[in-house]
Amino acid sequence: MDWLQEFLPINSLNPLIINWDRLGIWIGVLCTLAIYSLLYRENPIYRFFEHMYIGLAAGYSLGPLGVDILYRYWIEPIWIQGYWAWAFVVPYGMYLYFIFSERYGWISRIVIGTLIGASAGLFFQEFSSRYLPQLNSTLQKPLWISDANPDVTIWTVMVNFLFITILLSVLTYFTFSYEQRGAVKRVAILGRWFLMIGLGAIFGNTVMARMALMIGRIYYLLNDWLLIRVGGG
Amino acid sequence: MQARTQSVWQRMLSVDRRWLYLILFVNIVIFLLAPLRMPASISPPVQKFYDEIEKLQPGDLVMISSNWSASTLAENQPQLEAVITHLMRKQARFTMISIEAQSRDISYRLAERVTKDKGYSYGENWAHFGFVPNLTVAIKGMVTDLPNTVKQDVRGIEVAKLPVVQGVKSLSDYKMVIDVTPTGSVPIWISYSPKNLTILYCPTSVMAAEAYTYLDSGQIKGMITGAKGAQEYEQLLGIKGLGAPFANTISFSHLLIIAFILLGNFAMLMNRLQARREA
Repeated sequence: MDWLQEFLPINSLNPLIINWDRLGIWIGVLCTLAIYSLLYRENPIYRFFEHMYIGLAAGYSLGPLGVDILYRYWIEPIWIQGYWAWAFVVPYGMYLYFIFSERYGWISRIVIGTLIGASAGLFFQEFSSRYLPQLNSTLQKPLWISDANPDVTIWTVMVNFLFITILLSVLTYFTFSYEQRGAVKRVAILGRWFLMIGLGAIFGNTVMARMALMIGRIYYLLNDWLLIRVGGG
Repeated sequence: MQARTQSVWQRMLSVDRRWLYLILFVNIVIFLLAPLRMPASISPPVQKFYDEIEKLQPGDLVMISSNWSASTLAENQPQLEAVITHLMRKQARFTMISIEAQSRDISYRLAERVTKDKGYSYGENWAHFGFVPNLTVAIKGMVTDLPNTVKQDVRGIEVAKLPVVQGVKSLSDYKMVIDVTPTGSVPIWISYSPKNLTILYCPTSVMAAEAYTYLDSGQIKGMITGAKGAQEYEQLLGIKGLGAPFANTISFSHLLIIAFILLGNFAMLMNRLQARREA
């Protein structure tokens, strides 16, 4: 009886009393089952919930966008703190929509130019912080054991050699400036094999991620809806 | 006219895929409910992650970038729960930030639930900065002036008035950033955050392969990969979380899929051999 009381979205003694949290979970379950009904066959219920999901997701993001962004970073500074210069920022950004006009389309290019300029500027920092340390790390890999690097073991040296081999062969595969022939072609083929192994590992992880997605939904059905504790409690 | 009977191999090849979905569903339900906790071997990235948090001193400040929503719950929820539990053990202060609207609400509720009754109060020991739409701009702003970039927390309180970040002027005052995410946000943290920050990463399984280059170069100091990583981390912490049941279920689902693939290929091979014999 206690379980039923907790399970239902309405009070079993007085149906007029609604548990809104439970009702939300029931609606979530309905949506989940409707979306998964596609696995059985294509059907109008699935189509309805699919469109509803897209609409809800778009609508939901508008709320935080209005409260957390537009109000906090634009309206409040103008109206409360008096930074009137900010008033021009959003209209300037909205010039982007002139892209739909044949006559005034050129105005949108001013905003696009600003975005490209800002992105290009940011990329300098990104390149130096993101790629140069990787280059540095690669160049510092010890390829033999010496007094200068006493911590290096034969295993580390082997791993480093493998790393450098993969790096150089993959880079060779992506060198398209000249026709690959002879030894260069063989190295490029080796690079392609290494790439295939890498992509296989990524695909394996993708399967795991998709499985986790389904497990997440079934966990919701069991734990949140049916109130069955997962993993033996 | 007598209908030609199908061989067992032909019947296996023409099985309705919906039966396979049903078997997979039942398999998941069984292993989610089973009180099964298989021991996991701790992988080096998870051990490094644990060791980095162990280095924290009481009162150190950590930024958690939580950018996941309901779709990756099975991987990111156990990760975030385990990480917050560890931070609380080390008595570290933490603040959270999200780059997706849904993530803001989910991570805020999760942190409220995990910190409840653990002596961790909102505003004093932890806070949630809400949702920022552009992580690059937000990080660059926080590096210069954190209170004026974030302005308000998720409850509408001015960040400058929150005791948890009293005296904090910029992101440089933090010790660590932990990115819990199914998106490619960690390169942004690597590129734009101050160099004194230690970056730790909790990706979904699909994102993990790309992150090994950052791990190798030392740009990130540790990584918890999906539910499997969460299981290892729970084991290190000695807690019973969702990582273990989720990782076990994933493992047995993989076994089932491998069995399906082997059976399907075997049936196809036998079917071809039979057809050749008949010809």
